[in-house]
Amino acid sequence: MRILFYLLALLAGAALSFEGAIYAELGKAIGQLETSFYNFFMGSIILGLLWLFFGKGSLSYTLEAPKWLLLGGVLGVVYLTSIVVSVPFVGVGVTMVAVIIGQLVMSMIIEHFGWLGSKKTRINKEKILAVISMVVALILIN
Amino acid sequence: MGLFMILFTLIGGITLSAQSSINGTFSRKAGTIETTFLTFLTGTMFLTIFVLFFGNGNIPALLEAPKWQLSAAFLGTMYLLLTVLAVPKIGVIATNIAGIAGQLVIGVIIDHFGWFNSLVIELDIKRIFSLLFMLISLYFIYKGNKRSSEPTEA
Repeated sequence: MRILFYLLALLAGAALSFEGAIYAELGKAIGQLETSFYNFFMGSIILGLLWLFFGKGSLSYTLEAPKWLLLGGVLGVVYLTSIVVSVPFVGVGVTMVAVIIGQLVMSMIIEHFGWLGSKKTRINKEKILAVISMVVALILIN
Repeated sequence: MGLFMILFTLIGGITLSAQSSINGTFSRKAGTIETTFLTFLTGTMFLTIFVLFFGNGNIPALLEAPKWQLSAAFLGTMYLLLTVLAVPKIGVIATNIAGIAGQLVIGVIIDHFGWFNSLVIELDIKRIFSLLFMLISLYFIYKGNKRSSEPTEA
């Protein structure tokens, strides 16, 4: 059962790569910031429809939840902006490696301390080796 | 300047891992679809302001863009939806490692065939080794996660 969620996460990454390659083309025609805007705008419509027909949770929890739980959207925009700004200066390769290192190291720390409501799971040898292998993979690919 | 930019990009990565943790937590009470919907909705609000003040592209050109380019929005949606789904089950780090692995494999394939007008970069020994290290990384994260969740669940 757990393996299924690993596969879903793999699929998520695959979708992201296709998306990136296609949006690179769209960005040439309409601009990068505009492409991000289009992505979020269209995503809101798609999810609005999904929510209307299949939403089983409670959207009203939005109003009761602590405010920091509502920051997901802004953080996504910060991420996108940081990439758009740095690529022209340091190139796609270095940007990708830096983003992923930041992402992986921080994920490990967040989970280790159980921050942001995540399940507390300690850093161990295997996790550190996993991050190192991923960094090696990224350097080799560039 | 270059070093400053790299630090800036590191922060980009940090926000992404914070996003997946926060969304994972929010989804436990609000639901997967609801969480993803809210993320897109608030993201749109911020980007509307950004585009209005800093945008110098051409939004009306969206109407003339080929439909296959526009369909990428479904992929973006799928990415976020699947991430929100996976984080509560396997954790932040495993979701991110598996996500990056999927990204690299498809990225290498797209480069190799030059799909979507991308630069053609053929699969060479270096890239094969890269994919190998990625598999090793996936193996370690699976093992590591299993090990650190065993004592707490038992």
